[in-house]
Amino acid sequence: MQVTFRIQKYNPETDTTPYYKEFVVDGVDETWRVLDVLEKIKGSMDGTLTYRRSCAHGVCGSDGMRINGRNRLACSILLKDLNYRNVVTLEPLPSMPVIKDLVVDLSDFYKKYELVKPYLITKTNPPEAERLQSNEDAEKLFESAKCILCACCSTSCPSLWTNENYLGPAALLKAYRFTFDTRDEAPEERLDIVDTQDGIWRCHTIFNCIEACPKEINITWHISQLKKALVNREI
Amino acid sequence: MSSNYPPTGWVKVLLAYHKFSGSWAWVLHRITGLALTGYIMLHIIALMSLQKGKEAFDSEMLLFRTPLFLFLEWFLFAFLLFHALNGIRIALVDLAEGARYHKKLYYAVVIIGLLLFFGMGYIMFTQDTLHSVASVK
Repeated sequence: MQVTFRIQKYNPETDTTPYYKEFVVDGVDETWRVLDVLEKIKGSMDGTLTYRRSCAHGVCGSDGMRINGRNRLACSILLKDLNYRNVVTLEPLPSMPVIKDLVVDLSDFYKKYELVKPYLITKTNPPEAERLQSNEDAEKLFESAKCILCACCSTSCPSLWTNENYLGPAALLKAYRFTFDTRDEAPEERLDIVDTQDGIWRCHTIFNCIEACPKEINITWHISQLKKALVNREI
Repeated sequence: MSSNYPPTGWVKVLLAYHKFSGSWAWVLHRITGLALTGYIMLHIIALMSLQKGKEAFDSEMLLFRTPLFLFLEWFLFAFLLFHALNGIRIALVDLAEGARYHKKLYYAVVIIGLLLFFGMGYIMFTQDTLHSVASVK
């Protein structure tokens, strides 16, 4: 079987603007992942092709890219999930500065992640054993804790495209994960951080983040829980 | 980051990115919102004929009862319907558990909207609105 990949290429040392290059790849199967095709192109057709990959099993979140116009993980999408008889287009995650080909600079993404204090804050002395949490309370965090920080959600968000200071869905999801953790002792501190001009109120419930999330986390629902917590503390 | 954020321009990114039901609802909500704001201004300007007396106002109202304006009014109703119904959808998403069934809510907005749109069309174009225009003339 044959498949045609149209890949956005950009080398800052030689190119002034990004351009597209087509690769016709033979000997593939519809059960191949997009990443497998990329490996074949890099291995036998164009050694300069640059992309991130690490675990290749949808856990590390390195190979987030725009596949046929939407953000997905190249290792989690099979050719048969795509309209592969037509040309498959690969582009870097939108709205982030491109370093080379499909690799983008995620410094801004991680900076916002750190802004929401993504760790448990405790003020009391630890008990002799561990800080206990009931199964029911832990279950409230399971969905949000599945996030692998691949940046597919934040870079798919139109609010973030138009406002570079917006925290973005990934950071807000982390804010939920720790604010609603019963062991955390500074939920108010975190709520103050998201209750800002470029914080949670920039979420206009467009749901692009949910469509992009490879872990199928309903990010907008978690953001709405934070919104409700903020409204409740005002009334 | 610098002033050239995002690197490719957000309009270009928005046009190129795949649209899902949520993106369409968001885009349509903004278009209908701007259109309704524009309509309110037109509405106030049109009412200015009231200052010129009864006859000026009546002749203007006759114009608004012509088939073309009736048709435009029908679409004004469509814009209003979408904006109002989607407003309820957004409130359910933000204040209730709507994010868990946002696609169903979107389809409900579209289906209820279309039913009311055609229902209004039936009322507007089959009742004797057009005949009453003729009788006034």
